[in-house]
Amino acid sequence: MIKLNRDVKNYVILLSLLFFNNCNFDVQKDHPKLYVIEIKQMQFQPALLKVHAGDTIEWVNHDFVTHDVTEETNKDWSSSPLAAGTSWRMVINKNTDYYCSIHQVMKGKLVIDR
Amino acid sequence: MKAYCKLFACSVLYFVFNGTNSYAQQSSKLSDPEIASVAVTANQIDIDAAKLAKEKSKDQDIIKFAETMINDHQAVINQAVALVKKLNVTPKDNATSQKMSADAANTKKILQSKSGKDFNKAYIDNEVAYHKAVIDAVQNVLIPQAQNAELKQLLQDIMPALKTHLEHAEMIQKNFQ
Repeated sequence: MIKLNRDVKNYVILLSLLFFNNCNFDVQKDHPKLYVIEIKQMQFQPALLKVHAGDTIEWVNHDFVTHDVTEETNKDWSSSPLAAGTSWRMVINKNTDYYCSIHQVMKGKLVIDR
Repeated sequence: MKAYCKLFACSVLYFVFNGTNSYAQQSSKLSDPEIASVAVTANQIDIDAAKLAKEKSKDQDIIKFAETMINDHQAVINQAVALVKKLNVTPKDNATSQKMSADAANTKKILQSKSGKDFNKAYIDNEVAYHKAVIDAVQNVLIPQAQNAELKQLLQDIMPALKTHLEHAEMIQKNFQ
């Protein structure tokens, strides 16, 4: 039986910790998350959200008036009208400014955290 | 701001704060049924103005804003109606809501006499003035005077929508300076 001295054992333990730490980080990147933005009191809450590319955002309308969620700069996408109590999801891959095209002063921002 | 917009806004504020002596109200304080009537009337007035805007305007910003006013203020009326049914309260017509309706009718005649850009400017100027007056009345009179907790909460719940409408109207108003 090979006897490992204490220094070698410590070195192996240290290498293992570094290895598994990297593995956990990669696992987090590979599993997209779901974030919820509440539409409440005529605001997107939170108005600024940092996410990773590939994450899903769900907007939930808690107001009693109808809202929508529309990409602001080029109008690339829109949820179409969301009645009270309804929700809509989208996968996000880039920084996005959006707004409610019905109440055009209501604005939100998604930032991709690299 | 046009004189008639200021006059309308002032009359909303005056009659909500003071009632009217000609109807010999014992107190200027509004009861909950009266508050419910004022709230419904205030929303209906803006719906009626918005319907006129949709008929007369060809400006897309004005038309879209008017559609939002119709939908949002109807949603508020629906909430108010549901609440008074639940509380078994009948909205009580009163001097304040009657004067608001009378003044709104005068404003409507003025708006009907206008067309094109003049109408667009007059409509949005009135929307800014009207929402400022209603926000002031709800915040400083109706909410403090409401006795029933659910009615008070409903009035508080509509404040963000009123403020957003005002901000939206002011944004459009800049296009017609």
